Amino acid sequence: MKIRGYKVVLAAALAATALSGPAFAADPIKVGVVTPSTGTFAPIGQQVRWALELAAKEINAAGGIMGRPVTLIVEDEETTPAAAVQKAEKLFQVDNVDFLTGTVNSGATLAVGQLAERNKKLATTSVSFADSITADKCSPNVFRVNARAGQQSAALAAWLLKQKPKAKIYYLGPDYEMGRSTVAAFKANAEKLGAQSVGEVFAPNDSKDYTQFFGQIRAARPEVMYISVAGNDTARLLTQMQDFGLLNSLQVVGASGTITSANMGALGAAANGFATGAGYSPQIDTPENKKFVADFRAAYKVDPDLYGADSYGTLYAYKAAVEKAGSTDTDKVRAALEGLTWNTPQGPKTIRAGDHQAMQPMYVVRINNGKFDIIDKVSAEDAIGPDTCTRF
Amino acid sequence: MNALDYLQFVLAPQVVNGLALGVAVVLVALGLTIIFGLLDVINMSHGEFYAVGAYLALALGAAHIDFWLLIVLVPVLMLPLGMVTERLLIRPVFNTKDRHVTTLLVTFGLALIAEDVLKLIFGPNTQRPPTPIPGASEIFGIILPNYRLFLIAIGAVIVAGVAFVVYRTRLGAMVRAAAYDRNMAASLGVPVSLVYSGTFAFGVALAGLAGVLLAPIYSIFPTMGRDFILLAFTVVIVGGMGSIWGAVVAGLLLTQVQALASLVISPVWTDPIVFGTMVAFLVFRPQGLFGRLGHA
Amino acid sequence: MLDRLTLSMRASHVLAALLVVAALVLAVVGSAIGDTFYLRLATEALIFAGLALSVDLLLGYSGALSLGQALYFGIGAYTSALVLMKVPSFWLAMGAAAGMTFVCAIIGGLIANRVRGVYFALITFGLAQVVAKVVYNIRDLGASDGMIGIPVIDIGIGPFSVSAGNPVGFFLVVLVIIMALYAATAYLLDTPFGRVLTALKANEKRVPFLGYSVWRARMVCYLAAALIAGLSGALYPMLRGFVSPELMFFMTSGNAVISVILGGVGTLVGALYGSVFLVIIKSVIGSWTDHYLIIIGLLFMAGVLFMPKGLIGFVRPHVERMIAPRHLRETRAPEQDAPLKAEEVKP
Repeated sequence: MKIRGYKVVLAAALAATALSGPAFAADPIKVGVVTPSTGTFAPIGQQVRWALELAAKEINAAGGIMGRPVTLIVEDEETTPAAAVQKAEKLFQVDNVDFLTGTVNSGATLAVGQLAERNKKLATTSVSFADSITADKCSPNVFRVNARAGQQSAALAAWLLKQKPKAKIYYLGPDYEMGRSTVAAFKANAEKLGAQSVGEVFAPNDSKDYTQFFGQIRAARPEVMYISVAGNDTARLLTQMQDFGLLNSLQVVGASGTITSANMGALGAAANGFATGAGYSPQIDTPENKKFVADFRAAYKVDPDLYGADSYGTLYAYKAAVEKAGSTDTDKVRAALEGLTWNTPQGPKTIRAGDHQAMQPMYVVRINNGKFDIIDKVSAEDAIGPDTCTRF
Repeated sequence: MNALDYLQFVLAPQVVNGLALGVAVVLVALGLTIIFGLLDVINMSHGEFYAVGAYLALALGAAHIDFWLLIVLVPVLMLPLGMVTERLLIRPVFNTKDRHVTTLLVTFGLALIAEDVLKLIFGPNTQRPPTPIPGASEIFGIILPNYRLFLIAIGAVIVAGVAFVVYRTRLGAMVRAAAYDRNMAASLGVPVSLVYSGTFAFGVALAGLAGVLLAPIYSIFPTMGRDFILLAFTVVIVGGMGSIWGAVVAGLLLTQVQALASLVISPVWTDPIVFGTMVAFLVFRPQGLFGRLGHA
Repeated sequence: MLDRLTLSMRASHVLAALLVVAALVLAVVGSAIGDTFYLRLATEALIFAGLALSVDLLLGYSGALSLGQALYFGIGAYTSALVLMKVPSFWLAMGAAAGMTFVCAIIGGLIANRVRGVYFALITFGLAQVVAKVVYNIRDLGASDGMIGIPVIDIGIGPFSVSAGNPVGFFLVVLVIIMALYAATAYLLDTPFGRVLTALKANEKRVPFLGYSVWRARMVCYLAAALIAGLSGALYPMLRGFVSPELMFFMTSGNAVISVILGGVGTLVGALYGSVFLVIIKSVIGSWTDHYLIIIGLLFMAGVLFMPKGLIGFVRPHVERMIAPRHLRETRAPEQDAPLKAEEVKP
């Protein structure tokens, strides 16, 4: 199921000897994957790994990248930046990978990005959505292939205020950097469009019981509730809201990582009606996506989620960039990636040269019995927001 | 917001919801305090036994075994697990000088393994059994789900049952005697060794029962065992080692403090408050509210 | 006269010297083949060995199990990171980390040393948990994302200068510091004060009759352990260029405890070996299964139940026999607390 170190070490050793000379046609192109298989984000890591393996298999079956096969070398992020950096350094130094992806924890993405910069390699994330990664903490060696928090909010707010002009919104986020920034981003977008904010509360991460906030929420009498908790916290929050009858009168919207295949099973009917701004839904009605979903399901028995789709697209972005550059050299691939437009199951994506953030059409999806129904679409240009990266 | 609104929407629900959470905490802490009070063992894997109970309920529930039967069946299934754990891991180091630390370390190791085994068997994703009693009731404008009402009721029954066994039966007398002075108890004919493993198993079974009862509210995932553990330890220390009434009073009190404090300060700071309470008790009243089992 | 305590300490020193030799071999081989990763991994293992050393000083010599020693490691790391981002000076960062850790340890020690045994474990656990949560929420400290952008510094040692980015150079610097911490700890334990600690562990009730303050001894031990953890932590951002709140989480403290148990409690050098051993098994087992925690957990429990002196327990008696003077050689080298084991303790 997994491609682990051993097999590939030999290939790595072979490739290392060839580095000084010209690349031979049969040398594999090595892609490092640091993604969690233990810790709280393990379910996300599974989607990332599966999608990358699927993409690698397809690329290799079609003749590889410039005639060279792609090899993935997978390491466990352990959901902590310290482990991620250690594994990434192994991939850069020992396995000599040309390109690294897969980090989930946004602290890990930032730390691995810095390591990539110091090792003169390229790193991407297809999961982390903290705005800072392609804004104030951007790096010339880091690219983000998925939509950041700001893009998600823009799409969602536009749809919501079309449905309910002057909506009264209550916000509930996890009390840490990510939670606060997602709430702030959505609030700004929604208020600009005429929404009325009636209250906000930040709950500790890993809260057991959200019922202590329900009184305040009812007292504020909101029509819409925006949430940006994730994983087990979402399962608890929404099922507890369901038990308390709060879901009957409220439209719940939230960040795109709030409901995924990892907690859908626990949520059941409590997820119905939840709307989010996301870069992906398995329902996207294009031939590329239908094929992707069918292949993914055939291989792993489950639907891909947005992390799967974005990770799948990452490898194709790298393929396109290397073929455009005619080389795996960091500077040349970086130049090729900047402004690159390529096709993904989500539609065409373009990497903005100024901050290395992918631009893509954003969808508003609503959950209906375990399916992500697409109910609205916002163009890439309208969702992206300004480029605030000043480092390059 | 006017005063009446505040009372109805904020204050009263806060107290009532805090009560349901308090019962949940008491259920988890009950087994912990009994094991601690009698054997002097800090069971770091108590949270994982709670998780095992929840997963057992999930697996058996998937095999169409009725929830009401599970309430009895899961604790019974946990008993041998507790027995074996005590015999294999606690007994061999029980008579060493540093047994507090040694047993804590052993059970910490067990917790590491248990969490990973659960993930290996059941996968990393969150799961949840269906709510056994759906619907909600409205009392004076305060909405409370029926299952939470049931939890408060059954929690009271369980606490009363355990207290009855410990304080009013011959079996309980043996346990208390062994906790007070094991040598004296042994010379009076109490089968101390059996009482020890029996008590440990009983505590484990209580953890499993808490798992069955709380899973429909708090969901099931491999790391769920870490959830209640700091709070449960605090309850044990504040209530007094092994004291059942202490656990009840401390559990309900601490969750109320948390619930009411979160109205005035950011909820993130409620954890430090709970921890501060634990420190204050350790410093000023180390025997806890009610003193330790067998001594009070 | 050479007694058994000194003898086992000397045996530990022999093993520590062996570790240094192995490290030097690694440094030579590593620089010869131009390796970066393994040298830096070994550097990280040594840094975490410092944390394990501090856990062992507490657990092995005053019998106090800390489940939150990562707190001081984290304080050291954050202080060092903050200083380095303003002034890229190695000595200033180390000094600031030591000062900050010391101040925090006085507060933590006043709280934690009110209690003993499991209560001490729970207090240290809670203390670390709460502080980690606070750091997780403070935006000026990078909150949950941690802080990146800590520069690669040059470490001035007299007329020489070593870059923290030089794998061999920085490895040797860290080796020197960690071994100096080890030597300082061993020295501390060899002073009369150290003997009071040992006596404390054996029988706390009798020590006051000898005219020593139990509280003061335990407090000094706590402060020393915190300093070791803080100084080790201060090295982390120099190696990795970032800090994150995960450094203070329970898993970091837990790993240090696991290292100490695997290496051998109360041997000092065992903490160093245990830490290196943990890194090795983690990467070996981790390369073929995601469920390596099961194996580490099993090894750990086996260590607690069957090998009270861990890996060192297998090796050190042999070393002791080799270096022992005649009057001690006849009998088998003793387990330090073997006679205490039989003693029945009332709950």
